[in-house]
Amino acid sequence: MYQLNKVDKKFPGVHALKAVDFKIGRGEIVGLIGENGAGKSTLMKVIYGAYQPDGGTVTVDGKTVRFQNPRQAMDHGIGMVFQEQSLITNLTVMENIFLGFERQFVRFGVINWTAMAEAARHQLRKVKLDIDPSTVTSKLSFAQRQLVELAKVLTLEERIDGDLVILLDEPTSVLAKEEVELLFSLVRELTSRASFIFVSHRMDEVMELSDRIYVMKDGEVVDVVAHDAANIDAIQHKMVGREVDKQYYREQKQRPYDGSKALVRFDRVGVAGKFNDISFDLHPGEVLCLVGTEGSGREAILRTIFGLEKPGTGTVEIKGRPFERTNAQEAVARGVGYVPRERKVEGIVNGMNVYENMTLSQMGNYASKGVLRIGEEKALAEEWIKRLSIKTPDVYKDCGGLSGGNQQKVVLAKWRSGGSDIFLLDHPTRGLDIGAKEDVYDMIREMCDDGAGIVLVADTLEEAIGLSHTILVLKDGKFQKRFAGPPGDKPSLYDLVHHMI
Amino acid sequence: MSVEKLKPYFPWITLTMLVLLVGAFNPSFLNPASLVQLVADIVPLFIMALGMTFAIYIGGIDLSMQQVANLVTVVATVYLVQYGIFVAVLCIGAGFAIGAISGWITTRQFVPSFVATLAMGFIALSGARFLSGERALSMNAEARDASFGWMFGNTAGVPHELAIAGLLLAVAWFLQTRTTFGRALKAVGAGELAAVASGLKVDRIKILAFALSGTFAAIAGLMFSVKLSGGDANLANGFLILAIVAVLVGGTPLTGGVGGVINTLVGTLIVVVIRSAMVYLDVDATKQQMIFGIILIVAIAMTIDRSKMRIVK
Repeated sequence: MYQLNKVDKKFPGVHALKAVDFKIGRGEIVGLIGENGAGKSTLMKVIYGAYQPDGGTVTVDGKTVRFQNPRQAMDHGIGMVFQEQSLITNLTVMENIFLGFERQFVRFGVINWTAMAEAARHQLRKVKLDIDPSTVTSKLSFAQRQLVELAKVLTLEERIDGDLVILLDEPTSVLAKEEVELLFSLVRELTSRASFIFVSHRMDEVMELSDRIYVMKDGEVVDVVAHDAANIDAIQHKMVGREVDKQYYREQKQRPYDGSKALVRFDRVGVAGKFNDISFDLHPGEVLCLVGTEGSGREAILRTIFGLEKPGTGTVEIKGRPFERTNAQEAVARGVGYVPRERKVEGIVNGMNVYENMTLSQMGNYASKGVLRIGEEKALAEEWIKRLSIKTPDVYKDCGGLSGGNQQKVVLAKWRSGGSDIFLLDHPTRGLDIGAKEDVYDMIREMCDDGAGIVLVADTLEEAIGLSHTILVLKDGKFQKRFAGPPGDKPSLYDLVHHMI
Repeated sequence: MSVEKLKPYFPWITLTMLVLLVGAFNPSFLNPASLVQLVADIVPLFIMALGMTFAIYIGGIDLSMQQVANLVTVVATVYLVQYGIFVAVLCIGAGFAIGAISGWITTRQFVPSFVATLAMGFIALSGARFLSGERALSMNAEARDASFGWMFGNTAGVPHELAIAGLLLAVAWFLQTRTTFGRALKAVGAGELAAVASGLKVDRIKILAFALSGTFAAIAGLMFSVKLSGGDANLANGFLILAIVAVLVGGTPLTGGVGGVINTLVGTLIVVVIRSAMVYLDVDATKQQMIFGIILIVAIAMTIDRSKMRIVK
């Protein structure tokens, strides 16, 4: 009933979707998997009307449609349950459910709250959520909010004629195991009311829930497999386009670290509301990976090392000394380099060229009395462009116009050329293609060989396991378990997940 | 060539076309001597626009500049006899301090710069009124000529005002393009979060940017005061909108990070040409502000980088 034919979407420098065919039938659950950057989210945005395709057609029940915005897609029965939850937390559950569609309850210019509450209760029953619809949303747990979102989308059922297609974007990422089970059984029941597109990078979940699975890679659908024919290894192979093996994470280049010195020492450190009682040492040559779900305190620990958060309890020592004044300038001066997750916002300055970006954290080294020695800056940039094979026409290229992988190389070059030896890498491979990821892995090993210590928050668990010497599992800001990960004796995914949730 | 690639040249193209257009209507406009005089006359405005460039370059704005200039005209007139040429130090110090306070309010108290500078502007205005006793004061002509006579006059056909403007432009350009401070300004304007994550002292840089805009406002006020030989709490009124228009039509968008002081030179010239065109075309003085208001809106809408603004309030 809902179909995409040869849909194409281009962005400057990126061919995000290449002639994608996609269809979903009534009551079907279709899985959509692929690595970050494979085109999943672009495809979803086309489906729910946030993007308009550049080529190809979209048909609903055989009729060609073109959605200018998500609202028009909703009028055709296509709803989206967002990964970053789209509920407004200071509104009540019922206000959220009927946000933008309050008119049906308006009598003489005012809202009939009793009627809205009754209608909201009806929606909540569909998702088996027994809460008072006048509860303020911020009081709900994440799992409950997810269900409210689903209930909100299900209001389409009353509003439009025809079939519903509901997109679930990574709906399980913040849920505990039992909650995932509940959600899945609910989705299966709801297939009597709607079809579902289930997007996730958790292969096992997709395989469990979906009737058919679309596998995406580099903007293309590389395979469509039926539930019964699905085989994890085969799909993984297609997704990555190669064997996921030990070489991928450069395990053969992993050398033991120097345990005699500590670059960073956390002694029972806590930051109110973020994490507490965390202790660890980071040694030269070590990759220490912080593993946990979103909100487990991983990012806050990185920010604390970089001087952006002030510890409330415990002591943080960088190279044997605590911060005198907790701020990023002092962290940088001590040799800490930060590669933030939001590469385009915090990593590079969009609008500044390659050499300007590379010296941003160390302008003092390229200036006499405040006057820049621009020639030396350019020479530095040329050297690192060569050393890391950064693809750029010249040093004058605006970094905003480079591809993600090359932007990341510029960020890494910035810190490495400045002599940093403590690296905080927050999702350093997010949104990079496979080749660029491998380059980053190579660089991580290289930096370790140079005696740097790395604190990593990885994009996937596999990456965390493959790259790290040490893994700390965190949950709700508390330390759970420490794993050592020497080459050939790495902990398994299961070991970690077990402690994460 | 695409429109995007041409965009940086829009101000130059606009300026050339305007000059040719006005010249076609009124050939005497293109007479070199009158052109030089025309440009020399707007030097205080240009200096104010230069200062405004720093505030806008980092993505802020300084709405106090006109009032700072007003205050300075009064301070200069009142204290000229007492301090002689050193009244300049007093004036510039006041401008620097007011700007720095605005910057401190913006960065440390998280008050948006347009409100912080607007409020500081009222404080400066109030100071000017108090000091002047709400009267228009005139300068002691002797002391004026002795201390600041050098500001006006000609050397080899070049008005001294122009030389001063050129010098200030050179200083501002050097600051912007050659120093770590200028680079930091660009980083803050183009990507403040990345600047923070690179360990730059972003607060200090922003405070300095506002201090600079205050300083330039004070220099503009001082020149204006000497030029008109007097001080008054309303003397520089009408400059603010022109300064903002000059910066924006020059190609430094409100979102910051691109453009700079050379753009402001072009922008100021565009403003001048438009203003003299309105005189030739007999546009009523009461309507001129309206036209600049409209140009301001068009210039903002055309230059602003919408990808940087998720929400406009």
